[in-house]
Amino acid sequence: MTDLLVARNVSKTYFDTVANDNVVALDDICLAIRPHEFVSVIGPSGCGKSTFLRLVAGLDRPTSGEIVVSGRKVTGPGADRGMVFQEYALLPWKTTAANIEFGPRLKGLPKAERAAITQRFVELVGLKGFENKYPHQLSGGMRQRAAVARVLANNPLVLLMDEPFAAVDAMTRQRLQEELAVITAHERTTVLFITHAIEEAVFLSDRVVALSGRPGRIVADLAIDIPRPRHWDAVAHDARFIAYRDELTRCIHGRPKA
Amino acid sequence: MSAVRKLGSELLPFVVALAIWQALSAAGIWPKVLFPSPLEVLEAFAADLTSGVLLVNLWVSLRSLLLGFVVGCAIAVPLGYLMGLSRAGRNFFDPLVNLLQAIPGLAWIPFAILWFGLGQGAVTFIIVMSVFFPVLHNLLTGIRMVQPVLIEAVQTLGAGRADVIRHVIFPATLPNLMTGIRLGIAFGFRSLVGGEMIASTDGLGYAIFNAQQYFQSSRIVVGMLTIGIVWLAMDRLILRPIEQRTTMRWGLVREGLEPA
Repeated sequence: MTDLLVARNVSKTYFDTVANDNVVALDDICLAIRPHEFVSVIGPSGCGKSTFLRLVAGLDRPTSGEIVVSGRKVTGPGADRGMVFQEYALLPWKTTAANIEFGPRLKGLPKAERAAITQRFVELVGLKGFENKYPHQLSGGMRQRAAVARVLANNPLVLLMDEPFAAVDAMTRQRLQEELAVITAHERTTVLFITHAIEEAVFLSDRVVALSGRPGRIVADLAIDIPRPRHWDAVAHDARFIAYRDELTRCIHGRPKA
Repeated sequence: MSAVRKLGSELLPFVVALAIWQALSAAGIWPKVLFPSPLEVLEAFAADLTSGVLLVNLWVSLRSLLLGFVVGCAIAVPLGYLMGLSRAGRNFFDPLVNLLQAIPGLAWIPFAILWFGLGQGAVTFIIVMSVFFPVLHNLLTGIRMVQPVLIEAVQTLGAGRADVIRHVIFPATLPNLMTGIRLGIAFGFRSLVGGEMIASTDGLGYAIFNAQQYFQSSRIVVGMLTIGIVWLAMDRLILRPIEQRTTMRWGLVREGLEPA
């Protein structure tokens, strides 16, 4: 199958005003993602994994190299690459339903169709009954569900997620991970997921790409051969899961986690 | 809380202030002309109301205030968005605005009189100058405070520049714009009173000034209280309902810091 997203020799250098020096954030990243694949990028903080996601989103430009999505070179942000942020980034002045409806509305879809889409994704992420609440009236977990629904309702080619569950408590995080696993498997969503949590990456992904510390280079690209969607109860003690986790930990930290 | 108790708690501060005022004037520490009693003020209020003087002055002043406010906002709001959203606009207008902003509205009175003659035209002009800067500055602060992540999020949903301005910048700047409008009206009242004392022969500010010439101190208080009551009415009937329907409903602004 042809690749949906291709990053060719992508490097990013930026000027650090504090250090008064050029910093190489990403060095020669080559990565290809197939349709329906769930790929996570992990690495220590400051390795440039979020920078890479921003380049794919078109929110920043690479210093050299190029990113191509579905045959088109990325030159700026667009609806084909919807992004979910750690800080939710819902519009506070729009209700849950209006936030989810936002992308279809920008596309100029007719009202009845928008309503049907909104209804479907409200239900998909389990926010039925909260359609008319404003973001500040929702819990952190519910806000992130709404943010995921907002992007999915816009039917992007690839779903970009930047440490989406880093700001919620541990129990909510596990539940959100399982929900995302089910939804992305069911919708066959192509996902590029950024996290510093190795277990989260292994749990969710078809493939995990590990970056080294600055400058970010790919040091591992590991296929996770466990059927999706996975559930924590089943996978936490699975020998394969543990083996993947330890291998990735070695790649990043040089030794398995104690 | 029942409606009666709610009304009671809202009236309480005024009742307390009135009681202290009454007690102080009844104590007779100062002559009546320096410190009129609540009853005298009420009598003066009733007299000015029945003679129609108060309503005429109120109408004249409110007309100047609202006209000045509308014109000031009509210049400040578009200019604020132009400066906030375009580097070229900011680079050009920022030095000029900075130069002019330290000049009090009242300093424009001599020119206002030369250009518009004595009367409400001159008063309206200095109100425009007073409303303009607080509205502009608060709006600029609001634009600078828009969270970049909100803009980026809608861009990845397909929003162009016009969509970002309409769906993110406009609503996000509303709390600061409301603050600017409140300050603008407050500054407008100052200039209204000051301007009418110098450059006009009618209006509430003139009435206060005129009453002092005749030692009618209770009528001074009538003028002052009328301004206070007009502001209170504007706040309760116009500004607060707008905020309750927008910024407070969206969770951008809260009533206070105590738990809900």
